[in-house]
Amino acid sequence: MNVRDILSVLNFSAFRPEEDDSTAVWRRRFPRHRSAIVSIGRGALSWRGILRNGQTADGEFLRGDPKELLGQVAQHVKDATDDGWCAVSLNTRYVISLETNLSRRPGSEELLKMNPRSVLGARYERGKRYAVTHSPETNSSILVACDEEQIRKHETMFREAGLKVGRYCCGAYILLRHALSQTNTTKGGEKPGSFFYVICSQGSVCALLQDEDRWMEVRSRTDVYDESIEPALELLAPFNQKVPAGAEIVLVCDSIFPEMVEGLGRLFPSHKLTDLTTPDLLSNLMVQN
Amino acid sequence: MQIPVYLIDDFKTDRKGGSPPLPIYLRLLPILLYLTILASILLNAIFVVRLSQAGSSQEVALARDRSTQDELKKAKDSRTALEKEAKKASDILAWLDAARPLQPLVVAIARSIEPGSSILSLRLDRDAENPAQIRFSIRIASETPRQLDLTLAKIADLRFRAFSPQQTAEKGEFEYSATLIWLDARARDNAGTTEEAGS
Repeated sequence: MNVRDILSVLNFSAFRPEEDDSTAVWRRRFPRHRSAIVSIGRGALSWRGILRNGQTADGEFLRGDPKELLGQVAQHVKDATDDGWCAVSLNTRYVISLETNLSRRPGSEELLKMNPRSVLGARYERGKRYAVTHSPETNSSILVACDEEQIRKHETMFREAGLKVGRYCCGAYILLRHALSQTNTTKGGEKPGSFFYVICSQGSVCALLQDEDRWMEVRSRTDVYDESIEPALELLAPFNQKVPAGAEIVLVCDSIFPEMVEGLGRLFPSHKLTDLTTPDLLSNLMVQN
Repeated sequence: MQIPVYLIDDFKTDRKGGSPPLPIYLRLLPILLYLTILASILLNAIFVVRLSQAGSSQEVALARDRSTQDELKKAKDSRTALEKEAKKASDILAWLDAARPLQPLVVAIARSIEPGSSILSLRLDRDAENPAQIRFSIRIASETPRQLDLTLAKIADLRFRAFSPQQTAEKGEFEYSATLIWLDARARDNAGTTEEAGS
C-alpha cells in the first residue's frame, strides 16, 4: 500500500470502479467528472463532451482521416474533459451477424471475451473481439465481431493523442440492443410483436427482422451512407418483401435523422413506423449504461 | 419476450493489474476518520472558546476577589476604629461608673465645710490597678481642727475607712491625706459575721 492507495481511500475513489473498468457503467466510473464520447467512422470523426451532470455538451463532426482528425480535435477533447477520459464508438470494421446454437452456459459471455473460441467453436475468427445478445425465446443470438487490429490501432492512436479510452464499443450494436429492449416488453406467454429494426449510426446501417419471437435475418453494413441516404435505403429495400404484414418498422439512430424517417416511410408505406431516436441518443446510452 | 437493458460490451484491451472497487461498507473507515477529525476540530474549538472564557472569568473573579479583599480590609479598619470608639466609650462608662461612688463623697466633703472655712485643694486619685482604693488629700483653711474632724466624720458616715492617714497643720491650714476604702454593705456584713464568729 502506498500513499496513492491511501489517498484513493480518503477521497473515496477506491470505492468507485476504476476509469477503465469495463464491468461498471460510465456514470459510476466518472461521477461528477467531465468526459467525452468519440465516434469513429471510416472517413469521419465526431465527439461530444459529457458534462459533470451526465448531460451531453457541444462537440464537433469532422470528415477525413480519423487519425488526422483525432490529432486536430485531441486538444479540444482534453479541454472538454477533466482527465482526458473518453468512450469510443466504433462505426467501421465490425460485423453484426445472426447465429444459432451458441453456448449459453453461465459465464459464457465473460468467456467470450477471454477465450472466444471455446464459446463460438467453428464460428470463431482469429483477430476479432466479440459480444453477443441471446434471444430469450429461441436459440438465436446476435453476434458482433470487431476487428482487433483496428481496436489496437485506435488505442495507440488515442494514447498518442494524449487521450484515455475508458470504453470501446460498437455504436450500432448499442442502438440495436436499445431498440430490442424498448420494443420487446411482453411478459409471460404473450407473443411479442413483429418488428423490422433499422439502426443508423454515423454511416453504418444495421437491419434486423423479428417475426414475433424469432429473429429472422440481420443485415449490417458500415460506411453505407454519407451525405445521401439512398445507399442505405437500397440496402434495406430487399426487406420490403420480407417484412411480415402488420410488422412495425422501428428506427433508431444515434441522433435525430429526419431524412431516414422520410426514406423509410417511402420504402415501407404500409407499415407503422416508430422512431425511437431522441437527441443525442447514443451519447446518452453510453453514459447511462 | 423481454430483453433487459444491459451493460454495454467493451471491446478495449483490458489493462493488467486492474482491481475491483472496495466494498461499500468500507466507506465507513474514511467517513469515521473525517468524523473524528471534525469532532476533534469541534472539540478543540470548544476547548479554545472555553479556555478564553475561563481566562476572562478568572480575571473577573480575581478582580472581584481584590475588590472583596479591599472591602474586607475597609470593613476591618472600620471595625477596628469602631472597636476603639467602643473601647473609649466603655472606658468613659467605666470611669463614670467608677466615679459615681465619689460624687456623694465630694458632695459630703463640700457640705461639711462650715462658714469661715474653705477648701484650698482637694484631690481624689484612684489607682487603675487597685480601683477600690482612693488616695485622698485635702487642704483646708480653718482656724480650728474641728473642720477637718467634721469633714472626716462625714467621710466616715459614707462608710469610707481611712488607712495610713497623715495630717499636718500650719498657720490655719490643715492638710490631710489618706487612702480611703469604701466598705460596702456586703463587706460590712462579712465583717459582722466574722466578729460574731469570733465572740
